[in-house]
Amino acid sequence: MAKILANILPSPANKLALKRKELHWIVSELDSLEEVTSKREQEEIAKIKFSLNKRLNKAAFDACDKNEYVQELIYNKLLSYDVKNYMNHRALNHGLIKKIFKAKRENKPIDALIAEHDKKYDELKIKRAKYVDKLEQEKQRFLAKYTTTSSQDYENLKKELMLEFEQKADGIKKELAAKMQKTRAQLEQKAAKVKEEMAELKKQVPDAATLPDDVLLQVKGLKMYFGGLKAVDDLTFDVKKGEIFGLIGPNGAGKTTVFNCITRFYNATGGDMYFENRQGEVVDLRSFKVHDVILQGISRTFQNVELVKEISVLDNLLVACTREYRSGFWAHLIGLPMVKKEENILKLKAMRILKFMGIEAYANWYAMGLPYGILKKVEIARALMLDSRLIIMDEPAAGLNDTETADLAQTIKRIRDEFNATILLVEHDMKLVMGICDTVCAISFGQMLAIGTPQEVQANQAVQQAYLGAMEE
Amino acid sequence: MKKNLLNKYSLFAQDTFVQPQSKMIGIKKAASNPILHYIIFGVIIMVVLYMAVQLKVLPYSWYGGIIYTAAYSISSIGFCLLMGYSGLASLGTGGFIGIGCYAVYYVTALSGLPFIVSVIAAIVIAAVIGVIVGFISLRIESIYLVILTLGLSEILRNIYMSLSDSINIGTIKIFGSALKTADVMYVIIPVLIIIMIITHNIIVSPTGRAMLAMKNSTAAAQAMGISLLKYRLMAFIICTIYAAISGSMLILRSGAATASSGTSFYALITSLNILAAVIIGGYKSIWGAVFGTFVMYGLNSTILQSIPFFTENPALITIISGVLVIVVVMFYPGGLAQLLQNLKFTFAKWKKKIREDKYGKDIG
Repeated sequence: MAKILANILPSPANKLALKRKELHWIVSELDSLEEVTSKREQEEIAKIKFSLNKRLNKAAFDACDKNEYVQELIYNKLLSYDVKNYMNHRALNHGLIKKIFKAKRENKPIDALIAEHDKKYDELKIKRAKYVDKLEQEKQRFLAKYTTTSSQDYENLKKELMLEFEQKADGIKKELAAKMQKTRAQLEQKAAKVKEEMAELKKQVPDAATLPDDVLLQVKGLKMYFGGLKAVDDLTFDVKKGEIFGLIGPNGAGKTTVFNCITRFYNATGGDMYFENRQGEVVDLRSFKVHDVILQGISRTFQNVELVKEISVLDNLLVACTREYRSGFWAHLIGLPMVKKEENILKLKAMRILKFMGIEAYANWYAMGLPYGILKKVEIARALMLDSRLIIMDEPAAGLNDTETADLAQTIKRIRDEFNATILLVEHDMKLVMGICDTVCAISFGQMLAIGTPQEVQANQAVQQAYLGAMEE
Repeated sequence: MKKNLLNKYSLFAQDTFVQPQSKMIGIKKAASNPILHYIIFGVIIMVVLYMAVQLKVLPYSWYGGIIYTAAYSISSIGFCLLMGYSGLASLGTGGFIGIGCYAVYYVTALSGLPFIVSVIAAIVIAAVIGVIVGFISLRIESIYLVILTLGLSEILRNIYMSLSDSINIGTIKIFGSALKTADVMYVIIPVLIIIMIITHNIIVSPTGRAMLAMKNSTAAAQAMGISLLKYRLMAFIICTIYAAISGSMLILRSGAATASSGTSFYALITSLNILAAVIIGGYKSIWGAVFGTFVMYGLNSTILQSIPFFTENPALITIISGVLVIVVVMFYPGGLAQLLQNLKFTFAKWKKKIREDKYGKDIG
């Protein structure tokens, strides 16, 4: 009975997860606060400008030189008349050329054609002259109706309005800044409160294991057997915080299997995997389902690009945040404004990440039909959306040319530095691996060959044998 | 012109006319709201039906055709969500439609409870069956799932036959007054519009995106934290619930149905017709689903029957839908919704061609 009740009632771990979600939203709201405020400020100032200009319009019209005004008015009307009638002229000319060619082919006289054309042309000319006359009359009427007044009133009003604008703009700026300060204080207060509650809950949830301070992911004695095939056999390694860890090996060595075990696509036959998650707790990865791993702070990219082709690049990044929304299915079904608000916050973040990857120009493009290099970048951007601690990249350079690979190496380093992420990658491009990795682990047939700095691994004899074959003596 | 001068005389020369949005743009923005389109569509349909029944301007056969289209459209939209957005397939629509029919028969016609109760009962039963199929869909995929749902549909049909082969609901009371055949539209059309709006909301929401991600690649979806179980269950539950609602609307219009007849609502032919309708209309578009259903169920009684050629050769009417399916699958895999988009480009091309014929080619 107690067991059933414990299953139904929210456990401390579940409560903790909910609190985490709350904290995450508070933090993202804090992040986007400045952008939202500046946008709002621009809108408000534009509104003020518009209304002030409206008030000035009448005075401006009174003050402006009526001769100049009407001249421009008539010039523009005539211009638009000519543009409209351009097609008629062109049709006449082209028709004439065609007819002349036809007549010459059939050896007929062309004088009649030209005469007919001239007649039509004259008609058009007369029509235009009539229109010009009409405009002249309009001009006279206009000048009789309005007179130019002194510009003193206008200048005074302009000065007055300019002062008013400065005052209003200052007021709005101050108001918005105060509002932002207030919201920020409120949010920070909320965050502090949630953190306190989390600390209390954390005492009730013990860590699964303890890890050394500098280790992020510990894989201990990992085994993955497919029937009789030992894809991964007793593999042990540590991934340290903030490093770029490369996993290399010949084809079929079991690199991707290791990845799939860590991200829980495969249920490992044996061994332990401990990970220090986003909140700094040590968790046993084997206790999570495949779609829950991302919440712990592990995100991955795929060897072949696996994006949703029917939606835009920006929406693709939002797909990664499906678990982040506080609004549930019913809110989506009714279309509550809350969903839009959340989406806007996430979109700002997505734009920031796209800018970081240098592909913000493609934000509204459909993923279908974009070049492969861009799609690879989008996939990395998607992995960055959740502030993951560990980013697993499966052959990020596959299918890229030399320039793009060099660019990718820089990007991976920047990701590590700016997002405080640790990167674990499988790669066949040795230049890339040896260039950027801090630690390289070489495996073959599921077993460890060597681990260490790139130079150490390169010098290792077992690795050379695995790649190049046994040396004959 | 006026712009230039006012720029000269205005406070802020550069950005006078840029900001903010004028009233006209506000109206345009409101008019581009898709939910408003659905409501306007509903009003237009109501007006057409009113013309057919009350004013007798249009032939009476239009009424039956459009009402049946509207009722079947509800299940097509559910199928559209299942196939186009979740990448699952099912041939069980006919069986699911029967849930709605029998719920109305047992709960309202025999027990005398209000109509809304029977719809709720249909929704609950459909949800349970949706959960069952959803769980199965985790293990079985593609063509095998289709066969399985087909079997389930036949099981349901046999259950209906043993329960009560032919049902007749008589007259149903809604809000205290008996519902005449001519008044059925005041129930069915609003339900269709609500279903369209709800489905639109789901499609544009994060849930819809998650479903699309699941359709494209299950591995990537799982890595992004999308639970296959949750969203497949959701897709199947929505599909079955829509079909059940559609069933209760159908029985409201027809009044009676026979399970053992091959052309009843819950026969295999219904499932196939709905599949064809969604393929013809476009499997990723709500408008397409409705239009495809119209081609399958409404075209005959509204337009084709008034053409003498087709009244003389009724066999040709069924051939038309078959030919349409072949043509659409061959040339427009995205359905008639894609055709409409293509037409826009084609028109632009024609315009250019006509202009060139008239005035000669652009010389530069």
